[in-house]
Amino acid sequence: MHSFEYRNPQTLAEAQALLRDTHGAKLLAGGMSLVPVMRLRLVEVPALIDLNRIAALSGITVSEGVVRIGAMTRHAAVAASAEVKAAIPALAMLAGGIGDPLVRNRGTIAGSLANNDPAACYPSALLGLESTVVTQQRRIPGDDFITGMFQTALAADEIITAVEFNAPRRAAYVKFANYSSRFSIVGVFVSRYASGVRVAVTGAGAHAFRVADLEKALSGNFSAAAIAGIAIDPANLMSDLHASAEYRAHLISGLAQRAVAQCA
Amino acid sequence: MNYIGKPLARREDVRFLTGRGNFVDDVKLANTAWIAFLRSPHAHARIRGIDSTAAAGMPGVLRVLTAADWKAAGLGELTCVHPMPFSDGRPMNEVLRPCFAADRVNHVGDVVAAVVAEDRYGALDALDAIEVDYEVLPAVSITARALDAGVPVVHERFQSNLVNEVVRGNKAAADAAFAAAAHVTELTVSSNRLAGNALEPRAYLADYNRATGQSTLWATTQMPHLLRRWICRYTLFMPENKLRVIAPDVGGGFGVKGHYAVEVATVVWAAKLLGRPVKWTCTRSELMMSDAQARDHYTRAKMAFSKTGEILAMQVETLASFGAYCSNFGPSIPGNSYPQTITGLYLTPHLHLRVRGVYTHTVPIDAYRGSGRPEATLVNERLMENGAREMGIDVVEIRRRNLIPHERFPYKTPVGRIYDSANPPLMLEKLVALSNYARLRTEQARRRKAGELVGIGLAAFLDKSGTGPSATLATKGGLHGGYESAIVRAHSDGKVTVFSGSHSHGQGHDTAFCQVAADRLGLPLEDISLVQGDTDSVPFGNGTWGSRSLSVGGIAIYKAADRVIDKAKIIAAHMLECAAPDLEYAQGQFTVAGTNRGVTFCQVAEAAHHGANCPTGPDFEPGLEATVFYDPPDTNDPSAMHLTLVSIDPTTWRVQVEAYYTLDDCGLVVNPLIVEGQVHGGLAQGIGQAMMEKVSYDADSGQLLTGTFMDYAMPRAADMPPLESDFICTLAPSNPLGVKGGSETGTIGPPAAIGNAIVDALWHLGVRHVDPPYTPHAVWKAVAGK
Amino acid sequence: MSARVLHPVEMTVNGVTIRAQVETRQALAEFLRANAGLTGTHIGCDTSQCGACTVHVDGVGLKSCTLFAVQANGAAVTTIEGVAPQGAMHPMQQAFQEHHALQCGFCTPGMIMSALDLVRRNPEPTDDEIRQALEGNICRCTGYYNIVKAIAAGARAMRAPAGK
Repeated sequence: MHSFEYRNPQTLAEAQALLRDTHGAKLLAGGMSLVPVMRLRLVEVPALIDLNRIAALSGITVSEGVVRIGAMTRHAAVAASAEVKAAIPALAMLAGGIGDPLVRNRGTIAGSLANNDPAACYPSALLGLESTVVTQQRRIPGDDFITGMFQTALAADEIITAVEFNAPRRAAYVKFANYSSRFSIVGVFVSRYASGVRVAVTGAGAHAFRVADLEKALSGNFSAAAIAGIAIDPANLMSDLHASAEYRAHLISGLAQRAVAQCA
Repeated sequence: MNYIGKPLARREDVRFLTGRGNFVDDVKLANTAWIAFLRSPHAHARIRGIDSTAAAGMPGVLRVLTAADWKAAGLGELTCVHPMPFSDGRPMNEVLRPCFAADRVNHVGDVVAAVVAEDRYGALDALDAIEVDYEVLPAVSITARALDAGVPVVHERFQSNLVNEVVRGNKAAADAAFAAAAHVTELTVSSNRLAGNALEPRAYLADYNRATGQSTLWATTQMPHLLRRWICRYTLFMPENKLRVIAPDVGGGFGVKGHYAVEVATVVWAAKLLGRPVKWTCTRSELMMSDAQARDHYTRAKMAFSKTGEILAMQVETLASFGAYCSNFGPSIPGNSYPQTITGLYLTPHLHLRVRGVYTHTVPIDAYRGSGRPEATLVNERLMENGAREMGIDVVEIRRRNLIPHERFPYKTPVGRIYDSANPPLMLEKLVALSNYARLRTEQARRRKAGELVGIGLAAFLDKSGTGPSATLATKGGLHGGYESAIVRAHSDGKVTVFSGSHSHGQGHDTAFCQVAADRLGLPLEDISLVQGDTDSVPFGNGTWGSRSLSVGGIAIYKAADRVIDKAKIIAAHMLECAAPDLEYAQGQFTVAGTNRGVTFCQVAEAAHHGANCPTGPDFEPGLEATVFYDPPDTNDPSAMHLTLVSIDPTTWRVQVEAYYTLDDCGLVVNPLIVEGQVHGGLAQGIGQAMMEKVSYDADSGQLLTGTFMDYAMPRAADMPPLESDFICTLAPSNPLGVKGGSETGTIGPPAAIGNAIVDALWHLGVRHVDPPYTPHAVWKAVAGK
Repeated sequence: MSARVLHPVEMTVNGVTIRAQVETRQALAEFLRANAGLTGTHIGCDTSQCGACTVHVDGVGLKSCTLFAVQANGAAVTTIEGVAPQGAMHPMQQAFQEHHALQCGFCTPGMIMSALDLVRRNPEPTDDEIRQALEGNICRCTGYYNIVKAIAAGARAMRAPAGK
């Protein structure tokens, strides 16, 4: 990769100013997605703004049924957090399955969401739970955050500061991982709120998505049997080296049933 | 014997555990320049032009090299040391890998240019500035299609992608047996293409001393002497005494670091051009498009059985991928190893086999742990178990009816190869006992009743190792020897250094070889050290490959040690004023029989170096060392059997290997800890081939789809099944210790055993075959009938 | 094509302070190998999967190929060379030797550093937990059986009172 300018601001305001004023700058969170693509010379980054010194961006608080995770909180911290395990165990479990332990020591929730890899786990939680992405400028409903493959609603100078999840009555995440990358071939996040059911899928398409047919059926009857007969249309699903769209469709159905059973 | 047979912890571990290993990339020389290689992004293209002016002008860039420079310098080619002609005598359609592609590139990764710069970043930045004008051409990457009408031809002068055709056995006899058979089983089987992927990527550091005209090369190689010979004789045309090759610590080889790689001669040449050290370390993604790959066979085969399940004949028709060029040992795999082991451990009266090597626009194929035996075993054992199931015979019972009995060894196969020793029936009974086969079947029945998908499968197979003697190798087409060298040198204080032409890159020679030396010399292990991997100090050796280190390299040491003791006895007799036959020797002490007069080995060594208190006369020379070049009289044949229990998730179709059992026969075991480690490691690679590994190319463009570990799956700790292992020992008749190779069986069994178990689990759903890797997707497709 | 961008960096590595001007694109693994002269940390891949580069930064296990050296400014880094004082091996290293948990040795430093990070998080890991914890460390030689045994034994030895 080519050389780049490197800045490590100590405050969020400093980071924001740098992001605004430095042409082509990218934010560096855990680096678990960005650094490998830089080293493979797949992207050219003229400047990196390292967020790892900004202490205010890390931390987990749970209050009144809302789990608030600071942008730079490591996956390992989320996975090990007693409060997250108590409030939304499926979220702790999801964080504990990302990458490997060394990656989890470094990777962050905001880095994962901002990158929005089609096979990343956190985007399924963003849609699979009632959520809000908090930036220094505004609050973005989780359902509005994902806009395309590797695309999000974030503006060019916008920095995620925290992600909030409403604790559901029940939730489960079932991940079927690829032997090589250990990312999801398909991951399904199911949650049940008093207000309704969410079923979110990652790994199967251009980005994570909710499955309305399954949510509708489960709202009437929250059981695996209720969705066993619902076929998932492979038409918009991804086919690649590791799995065809048809297989992914098959997995979505099967894993959704497993997730529902785990919510019981 | 003090040491042979003992599971001693390895002495060499300390430096690796404390981060003080000395791998090639660790070696630092002052004033080192860096070389980087520009590789083709296309599978097949014409090179219309290369413009390197911008690159050459960049800061820190010292040279830009292309095929034009190579040609202008009058340099040669790589080499294929095991060409394999057509069975009708025609030479094979050989095209060697070019160090620089001249007018065509024939696989993604084919080298087009190289930049030498002051440092790595400078070299990499300059690569980006080289402009290559490619005219992209259609490509063929699928082995099964390589000979179809209308597919692109890799090397047009042959007008087809056929490299060679090897025919073995007797077609008429086989056809007659098939015609008379009670049952015939047929299968189409593919052995998936693999990448060896040792954890240490290849690296080369070359230096050139203008004052002495001496080149030095530190290389990640399993064969320092052969590498030196190839570079000097075939490529750079230099005298062998002007190139020193050092293979320091090497981080895994598995055969792949024994190939004559595309980059190494260029690094040596670059150092000569510049008169300073030049270094190169491969990245993993470069490695995936440059290291030779493995396996990739497409086979249609059938087996003829009697009413009671005895094999009457076997018929095999295989297309074996060569990749885009002939590589080093590549042709010997489908040409020798595969035919020699295709009938495995079974009495097979008739065989007809035709293997055709084919070119495709892919990375070349060469040796990788197992080399031909995994391919052979997959075909043989899948036919065996499908036949058993089709005829309603238990899969263990059908083995009993076909295994070569112990007393039939040495056994001559239908291709004329003679297997030296084995006891397959005993091995089977021990495997049945180890796995408690009857209980496994009972358990399977119970779980099936409960709706589970559970399968049991076996693989029984022959390995082959210690290839030799050299003359025999030559008759099979080998252009390299099968012998191994050793010096056992006693120093003036009685301590000993053993020099071995073999090379350890994980096999523990520093411990195991010295165990052999220590026992033969009657000296403490701690008094003996090993030197390897330096062509300046070690006599010519053929290096490590084909599980030959102990049975060839170890025996060379054995014999050299014996000669040292023989000479020491003569000196001791002189010192003690007696006749040599009157001396007894044990544990470092020479004693006149029936007395307590004696001298120690150390005292003898001192005398030998002083030269004074030694026998006089023209036949005696001072010093105490022996050099041996040992050419083994025969190959030796390890064998093994695997049994596995699998269950299959009925939703995801993921295969869980719940239990794995191995029974190995590698003759005498020098260090059980090391041998067991070899079985484990081989097994991980076998499980890798079975469950997840595959090098994939796009069927249309030939693009490499598995370019990094993101897409090429490597087994992790959690992927390994619970394992139980046992051993039997039939000594190798061809060497005094009776050792056989012990390091490749792990790779051979799993694709066959696990494949058999999967078919057992899914037979009632109509599944008759799945090709490896047995990914959930592959199993789902098989069940869905796709 | 940008010019070389240099950045000052100062960190302690195995207790020794190192100051250098480094290119921003230089990974911590490369810095350790080239500038700190510690070649025990190895580079085995380019997609942050193999774990041969594992070190501890401020007490936490990380893949040093996926961190730029400049990011470790001010940090305390421990590499394999710093695990045990001269002349004595750490109980985890000893366990690896006793159990034949290495063959070629290339993955070994990363395995040890990862094992130590595991024990920091979980002092009494089960065999299954060890296997899962090694998801980010690839070995091509050993088949992992002996590595799992060694880590379990090493963890036990680390729990045992000094002098056993």
